Amino acid sequence: MKAFKGLDTLSSIGGLVALLLLGVLPTLFTGTYLVGVLTVAAIYGIWAVSWDFMSGLTGRENFGHSLFIGVGAYAAGFLNVHFGLGPWWSLPASMLVAMVFAVVLGFPTLRLKGPYFALAMLSSAVIMQRLMLIFWEYTGGEEGIHDITPLIVNPLHYYWFVLAVLGCITLLLSWMARSRWGLILRAIRGDEATCLAAGLPITTYKIVSLVISAAFAGLGGALYAHYQLQVSPQLFAVVTSITIITMVYVGGMGTIFGAVGGALLLTVMTEGLRNFGEWRLMVYSLLLIFILFFLPNGIIAPIWQKIRNLGRPS
Amino acid sequence: MSALLQVNQLDKHFGGLHVLKNFNMELHKGEIVGILGPNGAGKTTLFNLLTGFIPADSGEVLLRGQPIRQLKANTIVGLGMARTFQLCRPFVGLTVLENVLVGSLGPRVKTHDIGARAMHLLAQVGLADKAQQASELLSYGDLRRLEIARALATEPELLLLDEPFAGLGSSEIEALSVLIRQLHSEQHLTILLIEHKLREFMQLVSRVVAIDFGEIIAEGSPADIVKDPRVIEAYIGKQNPLNLDNHA
Repeated sequence: MKAFKGLDTLSSIGGLVALLLLGVLPTLFTGTYLVGVLTVAAIYGIWAVSWDFMSGLTGRENFGHSLFIGVGAYAAGFLNVHFGLGPWWSLPASMLVAMVFAVVLGFPTLRLKGPYFALAMLSSAVIMQRLMLIFWEYTGGEEGIHDITPLIVNPLHYYWFVLAVLGCITLLLSWMARSRWGLILRAIRGDEATCLAAGLPITTYKIVSLVISAAFAGLGGALYAHYQLQVSPQLFAVVTSITIITMVYVGGMGTIFGAVGGALLLTVMTEGLRNFGEWRLMVYSLLLIFILFFLPNGIIAPIWQKIRNLGRPS
Repeated sequence: MSALLQVNQLDKHFGGLHVLKNFNMELHKGEIVGILGPNGAGKTTLFNLLTGFIPADSGEVLLRGQPIRQLKANTIVGLGMARTFQLCRPFVGLTVLENVLVGSLGPRVKTHDIGARAMHLLAQVGLADKAQQASELLSYGDLRRLEIARALATEPELLLLDEPFAGLGSSEIEALSVLIRQLHSEQHLTILLIEHKLREFMQLVSRVVAIDFGEIIAEGSPADIVKDPRVIEAYIGKQNPLNLDNHA
């Protein structure tokens, strides 16, 4: 008997179809506006899915995800502008730097109980943002780092590249979430003491998961840096972390693919609400409250569950 | 014959409270021993100290002669000593089967097909038909069985059961007693258990260690223990309402 189901065919096909649709979508319209929105949405998708892998599965909410995004983006900026390295070096470098930060922060903070991990990560992100200003000679201060070279010049091609990266990360993390690793993370969410009684070294699992989560957040940061062609301390902003968490909640926490859906939905929704002018934030907030209040399991994951159940005899 | 578990001079304070005083105990392979004592006597604290869930102040715990007092709780499980909790602690959000699977993911487990083994364990404790249910929806009695199945999934040699009968009805207690006896006789598990339900407890164990205020007050066969004046006084009161003569 197989203890772990792995990725089922239906989910894989569904993901692939969604990816293809998203890839084709901007070619149906003229202009680069939609490509821009979708590129940002896909980058948010990478951030949301990486957050969900660690925090959604273990229930240890990381309120400082922007820290990993920021250090990844700055790593890209530094290497590219200050050291003159080619833009492709940014991708491995941003992952590596974010992983180092995750190890250093994860060791002390993931032993903390209750809300202290969330608070410690939140403060760390705020401190990093301040450090970017304090060490302005190196970081460029409020201005940040400019004139980063693009990875791919054609915006549509860059969007496709980001989409492919998002697809690969989602596939990898979904597969991991359905493996023994994912089961252990969900067990940690259930009860840490029982995990110890099952003989599992929970701190190790939490730290390694945070490192994986950070690596992809940092990669997303680098992709963002090479899209905006500049980085600023604003990348470390707490609001970025909160936005990502909201996306995961809207998509469906702990489901991995739901996080991607939530990211796409909210980014597009933010754009769509531009017509509301100054009322935009209010409408956005009301929609969120509605979703979180009436649909506590999110939108994307339950819808997908319904679609899947259609094919099954009840 | 050397002891499977040996406890030497184990000592623990909670602030000014001396909860365990120079505790000494030996447990041999194949034994089924009960810890008896009134509320607050230090029974659960003893379990938490033995299994590494809380650190002891001083003393020594040896498992097969290997000192384990300084080891982490999860490492001790890996050496073959598993426990259940007095208050059932299933993994909320996981199915019954997944709860047992988690127990199979530790370092000690050699079984290749952990899925089949988990189903086998569920069948053994009588939960096979509920494998796909959400664990938090189980009844109290079923949660106890799940606790035991999860502990068994770690493939222990020594099983510590913290009040397995607490909160159960008489038929459930009977079924669980049968299961514990089976684990002992058929799978040759060594079992240490804490219990309040005196009748079932006395029928189950071969030896009793009675404690009060963190100290051993008597040790011996169930028949001797119930006659021990110190036990009767500490645990039962001045008179003997046990009426165990019919059962013991």
